Amino acid sequence: MNGRIAAGGTILLALLVCAGFAPWLSPHDPNEQNLLSILLPPAWAQGGDPSFLLGTDSLGRDVLSRLIWGARVAVVVAFAAAFGAALLGAVLAHLAGYFGGAVDWIIGRAVEVWMSFPPVVLSLILMVGLGSGLSSVVLAIILVDWTRFCRVLRADVLVVTRRDYVAAARLVGFSHTRTLLREVLPATLPLLLTLLSLEMGIAVIVETILSFVGLGVGAGLPAWGQMIADARANVAEAPFGLLAPMAAIFLAVTGFNLLGDGLRRALDAREAIA
Amino acid sequence: MTLLAIEGLTIGAHVGGRRVAAVRDLSLDLEAGRILGVVGESGAGKSMIGRAIAGALPPSFSIDAGRILLDGEDLARAAPPRMRALRGQAIGFVPQEPMAALNPVMSVGAQLSEHLGRLGIPRRDRARQAAAMLAAVHLPDPQTLLRRYAHELSGGMCQRVLIAMAFAGRPRLVVADEPTTALDVTIQARIAGLIAEMQRRDGTAMLFITHDLRLAARICDEVLVLYAGQVVERGPGTMLLRRPAHPYTRSLQLAAPAMAGPPRALQALPDRMPGLIALADMRGCRFSARCPVGSADCAQDEPQAAARGTVACLHPERTAAIAPTAAAPRPAPAPGPPVLVLDGLARRYGQVDAVLGASFAIGAGEFVGLVGESGSGKSTIARLVMGLVPPSAGRIVLGGRDVTAGRRADRRHRADWAQMVFQDPQSALNPRRRVATIATQAMEAAGRPRAERQLRAATLLQEVGLAAEIGARLPAQLSGGQRQRVNIARALCTVPRLLIADEIVSGLDVSIQAQLLDLLARLRQERGVALLLISHDLSVVRHLCERVLVMHRGVIVEEGRTEAVFAQPSHPYTRRLLAAVPPDNPTLPWQPFAEPAERPEAA
Repeated sequence: MNGRIAAGGTILLALLVCAGFAPWLSPHDPNEQNLLSILLPPAWAQGGDPSFLLGTDSLGRDVLSRLIWGARVAVVVAFAAAFGAALLGAVLAHLAGYFGGAVDWIIGRAVEVWMSFPPVVLSLILMVGLGSGLSSVVLAIILVDWTRFCRVLRADVLVVTRRDYVAAARLVGFSHTRTLLREVLPATLPLLLTLLSLEMGIAVIVETILSFVGLGVGAGLPAWGQMIADARANVAEAPFGLLAPMAAIFLAVTGFNLLGDGLRRALDAREAIA
Repeated sequence: MTLLAIEGLTIGAHVGGRRVAAVRDLSLDLEAGRILGVVGESGAGKSMIGRAIAGALPPSFSIDAGRILLDGEDLARAAPPRMRALRGQAIGFVPQEPMAALNPVMSVGAQLSEHLGRLGIPRRDRARQAAAMLAAVHLPDPQTLLRRYAHELSGGMCQRVLIAMAFAGRPRLVVADEPTTALDVTIQARIAGLIAEMQRRDGTAMLFITHDLRLAARICDEVLVLYAGQVVERGPGTMLLRRPAHPYTRSLQLAAPAMAGPPRALQALPDRMPGLIALADMRGCRFSARCPVGSADCAQDEPQAAARGTVACLHPERTAAIAPTAAAPRPAPAPGPPVLVLDGLARRYGQVDAVLGASFAIGAGEFVGLVGESGSGKSTIARLVMGLVPPSAGRIVLGGRDVTAGRRADRRHRADWAQMVFQDPQSALNPRRRVATIATQAMEAAGRPRAERQLRAATLLQEVGLAAEIGARLPAQLSGGQRQRVNIARALCTVPRLLIADEIVSGLDVSIQAQLLDLLARLRQERGVALLLISHDLSVVRHLCERVLVMHRGVIVEEGRTEAVFAQPSHPYTRRLLAAVPPDNPTLPWQPFAEPAERPEAA
């Protein structure tokens, strides 16, 4: 096992625990307002309150609780959006790379047209059209980012498809579906997994951006991007309200990237031996 | 006077926590203006010698003992800056993979002038000198060529450019590591001739590393035969061919099919050369386990390393007793309708006819050879027959059924009648699947249960001469020869009547090649399977096939009984192909250069 996978996996595990056990882990209701104790600094700073470990925001909501509940949104978005984009992109990539010809041409052009829209603008337009909410965010990310999978994987599929063992499988009577699933997919899977973990990090950032501009999961759900947007107005008096969600985002994305990088190295090494 | 002297060179690596030797106590000397051949199978350590001279051993390998003296200067201990100065100036190198050795994003001219810059040629003279260099290696139109890139040139042309570079600095020593292996037969002969010509022109000393004993004997003044990191025999090339003194040299000779004389059986060496770790534990003579005339003492006492005129063998007198045996008569082809009939088959790619009007038939149990250079359309014919590419015209009749259209039912029929053995076992075996699964893939397609497949896998593996335990391994855990056997086992799973084998022994050592050729012959005997053997190696075709088709630029230019075609070729291209092979008899003249000069080939 390598260090990157261990470190990335640990961060990811912590994130998953926060997301899964948010109601038990968080000391307060994330939306509970304590208007008497707003903008409190962290407990260890001067004027801090031990019951609000990381302080409160401008409405007196507990920052720690909101962070923990925000992990839930982050995890749901990261997994759902990344898997969705991977599924859509990978299916199209395998069809394009394996069959080639007209199929490849059509899928290739679709990807190019799609990628010619600036991703942030495209996702904002989609959000306006879909309306805010968790499922809209996931759908928007899938619709923007599937091209990333399609592009990169197609090249890999193309290389694998030219291997003689793929031709040999056809010659002994494998159907196209079986050839794709049994011969091609196992070879492209390492790359797919790597892209998947990187995409999770990207999804967390995109969700943050959308929440920040107010087109995110909606006001009722505590989300890290929302927290940054809320804390922005009072950054001078209570900088910690801004720093805490930023640190959480940084940590989560680093975790996903470390995991992706580690997976890439580990799976590459196996390739080299084979 | 001696230019290069290697004394007691030992090159080792750390493998599995211990020190093992890839080259052991090797000594050689080379005089100025002479060519010394280093011959051995893969893993013998021959490339290590060249890389040690270059000061570029693979990672984890290093020189443990000995000296490499170039004009008295020890290269084994030279500092890196000194080695940099020597490379290119005093020592030139001709690499094995010419296409890979040129920078793909730099033009030929840019690379040549960069090289000339290193040699200290002033900028204004470089262009003129680069053109002169290209002319010296007989490349047509040097001015145009200087602006071209590696991918626009053929392998032969790339190698000419690299030879020009190797000789540019008028080095004292040139090391050529398998310079012709990656090239076509006809080009091979010319490149070998060119290297010899350049060497004569400059009076350079040369180390010529190759696996081809016949070629080395032709080109070199003297030849070293290497086995498992040690010199087993050393002598003039013609002597080695005519009267090999070491049992290994003799075995190599008898394992390779001949181009002349009566048909004889191949005497395949058992097993393969021991690996580095096995060697470290070995006592006595390193060849003893595979030696046809070895005795008990050979496994105990180690023979003296070979010097000029001596042999590293305890019983060199026994070598003469290793005699060729006559080949078993070929079974007559079974009467009956032909397995495969091609009628006016053609395939066009854009403006190029890869195959044009190919018509021939293969009878049941008949072995047919298809020869020609790379790009002549041989592999395209295989792919057309197997339905991997659709034909642009013509008909394919397999087992009495027209399968040209390639419908679903045709595919099933085709899979039952014909199977293909692919060229490169590395690419033909899925690295993620177990050998047993690969071998019985056809049954997976037919949805047979797992237990039945396991049983069948054991039978198939046995049939191709592999132990049943190998079924549980991954392809990466097999040797090249074993992989090719698995490749054949998979093709046999559906019990096809026709095998199409695309260059299946190229790139394998002769002793392994002999084992595989014997396997194919046995399959004919036992199964009556027919074979279309695609090969650039004429001696392999002569050994195995009763009929031969010669292909040139997509067209079958000559067809007939192998003996007749090889004895009296009627088409000029066939004559050219045959002339490119060095004759077995070292006293016969061989002048591939007498042929018309190389045309600028299309890339």
